[in-house]
Amino acid sequence: MSIIALTQLKKNYNGTYVLKGINLNFSAGEIIGYIGPNGAGKSTTIKILTGIISDFEGEAMVLGMDVRKNPIDIKQRIGYIPEQAALYEVLSPIEYLNFVGKLYQLDESLIYKKSMDLLKLFELDDKADMRMNGFSKGMKQKVLLISGLIHNPEIIFLDEPLSGLDANAVILVKEILAQLKHAGKTIFYSSHIMDVVEKISDRIIIINKGEVIADGTFESLKSEAHKGSLENIFTALTGDSGYQSTAHDFVDILKN
Amino acid sequence: MDKILLKLVGLFKGLFNSQGIDYARMMTIVETKLTMDKRRVYMNWKQRQQKKENANHLNSVLFFYALMGLFVAAFLLAIPSLMLGMIIVHTYVLFMMSMTLITDFSTVLLDTADNQVILPKPISSKTLFMARLVHILIYLLQFTIAIAVLPIAVAFFRYGFLAGFVMVFTVLLTVLMAVFITYLLYLLIIRFSSESKVKDIVTYFQIFMTVVFTVGFQVLPRMINFSQLTRTFELQWYSYLLPPVWMASTVEAIAKLQFDALHLGMIALAFIVPIFTFWFMNKYLAPSFARKLAAMNNGDTEKRDTNKIIVQQQKKPLSSLFSSMVCSSPVEKSGFQITWKMTGRDKSFKLQFYPGLAYILVFIFIFVFKSGKDVATVWHSLSSSASFLWFFYVPMMTVSSSIMIVAFNENYLASWVYHSMPISKPGELVSGMVKSLFVKFFMPVFILVGAFCIYIWGIEVLDDALFALTNNLFCFLIFANLSDHYLPFSRQPNTQQQSGKFLKAILQLLIVAITVGLHYLLIFTKLSWLLWALAPLLGIACWFLIKRLQDLQWKQISI
Repeated sequence: MSIIALTQLKKNYNGTYVLKGINLNFSAGEIIGYIGPNGAGKSTTIKILTGIISDFEGEAMVLGMDVRKNPIDIKQRIGYIPEQAALYEVLSPIEYLNFVGKLYQLDESLIYKKSMDLLKLFELDDKADMRMNGFSKGMKQKVLLISGLIHNPEIIFLDEPLSGLDANAVILVKEILAQLKHAGKTIFYSSHIMDVVEKISDRIIIINKGEVIADGTFESLKSEAHKGSLENIFTALTGDSGYQSTAHDFVDILKN
Repeated sequence: MDKILLKLVGLFKGLFNSQGIDYARMMTIVETKLTMDKRRVYMNWKQRQQKKENANHLNSVLFFYALMGLFVAAFLLAIPSLMLGMIIVHTYVLFMMSMTLITDFSTVLLDTADNQVILPKPISSKTLFMARLVHILIYLLQFTIAIAVLPIAVAFFRYGFLAGFVMVFTVLLTVLMAVFITYLLYLLIIRFSSESKVKDIVTYFQIFMTVVFTVGFQVLPRMINFSQLTRTFELQWYSYLLPPVWMASTVEAIAKLQFDALHLGMIALAFIVPIFTFWFMNKYLAPSFARKLAAMNNGDTEKRDTNKIIVQQQKKPLSSLFSSMVCSSPVEKSGFQITWKMTGRDKSFKLQFYPGLAYILVFIFIFVFKSGKDVATVWHSLSSSASFLWFFYVPMMTVSSSIMIVAFNENYLASWVYHSMPISKPGELVSGMVKSLFVKFFMPVFILVGAFCIYIWGIEVLDDALFALTNNLFCFLIFANLSDHYLPFSRQPNTQQQSGKFLKAILQLLIVAITVGLHYLLIFTKLSWLLWALAPLLGIACWFLIKRLQDLQWKQISI
């Protein structure tokens, strides 16, 4: 049975469709990369799957439940880590994690222990009681990561999980994702570029303008890319090549 | 205070649970939100307070409100008519609550983090809605208590237990009306504009609020003339349309046990309208409101940004016109233009500077009408006095604050750009900035004031106006030369002032006193022809002062 199932998923914002009928099925324990350029509809898909947006067309099932009918049960068993470090910055990490943990109905002393241990792993334990408005984007992202995982969810949704993280943290997150997969979790993350994480993905979905245009492993997509129409978008996403002439023009204009 | 109120909420635990609301989660959200309320920096409050990490900003704001309440309580004590006193109190409550809600509460309502943080968590929309409602209620009660506690105490003291008791209810009903007004206003704004517009509009409300506070504190106590308020008080028919009048009538009816048709009708309105509107708001407005807000925050940000970006037209703006008139080098021009443009767009500059402009009116009012005679007699004898000096020189007192404010910016790190440029005379940026501030903020005010003075005193004051203009420019440049030289928008907000400020302030005052004293002396000794002779001299002094700014070296620029 598939753990996530999307059937004819459509979403319309003020008359324009940002998702134009997505059909996808995922089985448990996969790492899924959901890749596409800005405005492709990645965040919208994730927001539908996590029950944040309930107003859409088509079917969306998560853990065998309809996201429109059982959003609470689904939310209890999934974790969501949004992009752009959205959290309550006037709170300290410990206060914030306590807040989030209580919303997941975890025991307060357990939350504290888990939070401190996890913060320690991210080398933030010395800042556990400092307000987050002075934190860098990477530090906030780490707190968000913990807040989305603290209740040990079965599926983890990440929106641009690596943005703003420093190189060491990227390696750490990548390793955590691999370990989570090992523990049987399903991971669904979105990104606008093919980056390091692609190498550990079981399956990569490329979407563009609200439609799925490719679906497969990194290797299969790569070999397929050089055959047909996929090439342009794939190049743009991997940032492989094709920019030479633009770069050349750029430098030319500077000379004038 | 919030602790006690939270305890009160706890009494209804059973009720919440029976309604299918998750009490524990609801309280988690409410408590967190109250904690954040205390830490929020209140906009109206920002410039007064140097940031202290653990200061409870909310408490200082509440204290301030209670202080305002003291004035109103004094009214209630002094005015013989119960009806009038009550109308004033309820109008005050309605006004203060609506303004507070519109300005500070907007950050609660429009908190974009809210949707991103709480919506993905397993919370039913019912629980979340109730959590928001309870938080709002506690928040409202805190402000209500601060605003109304003193007037209510006076009502108890002066008009007896019954009046005070009823007033507790009428005040609460008034607060409900204020909530309704705020909701309607926001619905209208959201209906007709975008999120960024909402924040702009809120900024202007905040400026307005600050002005009301400052002006209120200065002018109201002076205007209170109790003897006039007593006799000639009669209600027109249309005043019965106003909620404060309903509330006041209710208090009067019960305190004096008058139950005629008019009073009964007023009582009915006082209770039915707020409760009905609140029910209506809950049932019909709030859901669509929440949906609109959610759509605003959740809408595809990438897409919306491209649509809603403010396009700056390429036509020649005022700033480049003026900069080519008063600036010599390209660097100076760029300092002039960036100051001009940023001061027009930066929210925190506007919030800190514009309310100060209101002080111009306040000070003129205080200085000109201070004599103890009433406003009308002073007005009539105005043209025979030399009061125009106040009009000419007061504006500089507030406009000069812009030199200090303009250095601050949230985005202060962007000032690396100045330092990475091959600029040999950074002073030209400073001089451009100073010229820009003078032209943009001082000149319009001065032209207005000058026109007013010529209207009152006739064309004879033109020479005084011209002399005052050069004199003001001279003072402004002295201030600019004496203060620490920061490049525009290069300082981190809320950083401590440097020491040695006091001496400089004294020096500034002294210089202003001397120049204004000189002007007064010339008028007093009827040597006004000397004005024409001295103005060019001052002009030359100004030229040297500008030159000095332009010649500032990198090591003289503060970072």
